[in-house]
Amino acid sequence: MAKAKRVKGEWKRMTVQAAAFLLQNPKLHHFFLGTIEQGETKAVCVPGLNCYSCPAAIGACPIGSLQNTMSKSYKKPAVPFYVLGFLILLGLTLGRWICGWLCPFGWVQDLIYKIPFFKKIRTFPFERYLRYLKYAVLAVLVIGLPLYSAFKGVLVPYFCKYLCPSGTLLGAIPLAAGSAQVRAQLGAYFWWKMGVLISLLLLSLLISRPFCRYLCPLGAIYGMFNRIALVHLDYAPNVCVDCGKCETVCPMGIDPKKQFNSAECIRCGRCSRACPTESLQVRFGFAKKDGTR
Amino acid sequence: MKRGVRIGIFTVLAIAGTAFLLFGIFSGQAESVLKKAIRICMECIGIG
Repeated sequence: MAKAKRVKGEWKRMTVQAAAFLLQNPKLHHFFLGTIEQGETKAVCVPGLNCYSCPAAIGACPIGSLQNTMSKSYKKPAVPFYVLGFLILLGLTLGRWICGWLCPFGWVQDLIYKIPFFKKIRTFPFERYLRYLKYAVLAVLVIGLPLYSAFKGVLVPYFCKYLCPSGTLLGAIPLAAGSAQVRAQLGAYFWWKMGVLISLLLLSLLISRPFCRYLCPLGAIYGMFNRIALVHLDYAPNVCVDCGKCETVCPMGIDPKKQFNSAECIRCGRCSRACPTESLQVRFGFAKKDGTR
Repeated sequence: MKRGVRIGIFTVLAIAGTAFLLFGIFSGQAESVLKKAIRICMECIGIG
């Protein structure tokens, strides 16, 4: 029986992830009412992939908002400056640290991957090419098709409609459970999205964070900022003993020694905690320690 | 990437990001986000 590799201090990250989930979804009473929160804080985007139709959510999903602000009025597409501003500022400060520490769907995948009894896979064949899929999702489902639909006059958020597992898990399931009216309207799209969600959750038993690796458009956006973000990973090759522990514990299946600046690194810090010589360190700011890259 | 270049790119993007955010707020996009977020998103939950 293969288990997920254990790393000391992992409970701290799990605690932050749980706290981040509750901070983004504190209005828990809506789960029992079958309604969603309607406060003014929902004008502000949350950092992670957190559906705004989650009953308890107090913020807006950045990917949903990005798609929905691509149209000003009938047949008038618009540049979504507001959401882009959010994403640029969040990406610059935190980069994909958000994926590792704040994203609710990332947390769910981390929890499922911890379930033993299944042989764990580090990477799939054609891994390198599969990872480009998230850029295609961003270009086609988040930008291209919604923009095309805005030109046609009816804006359709294609990513939310066909792929987003967060919308199904945090929005559709609790709302369907709490409201007979919602249950009565569920149709083919719901079952398609349930299929996507279940497939991703089953995959998460075998491989760590499949959605983040291959499909997440938000991760694709934040990843572009990883090289310049304030939160970064420092590598000191002069103290590295090349034991390979960092590579075996990486949830994104990369080699942190070679790819510490990679768009795939979610800055979770597992490599840093597993390293016996502290040659890998997650840091904040522009400064680098002497001898680090 | 050299530290100076990194700081330069960071500064340019930080200014652009702030300008985008403010322009978005003044052009009413924050309100659009709010309007969408306070209603149940039919596409998100697989109805629309």
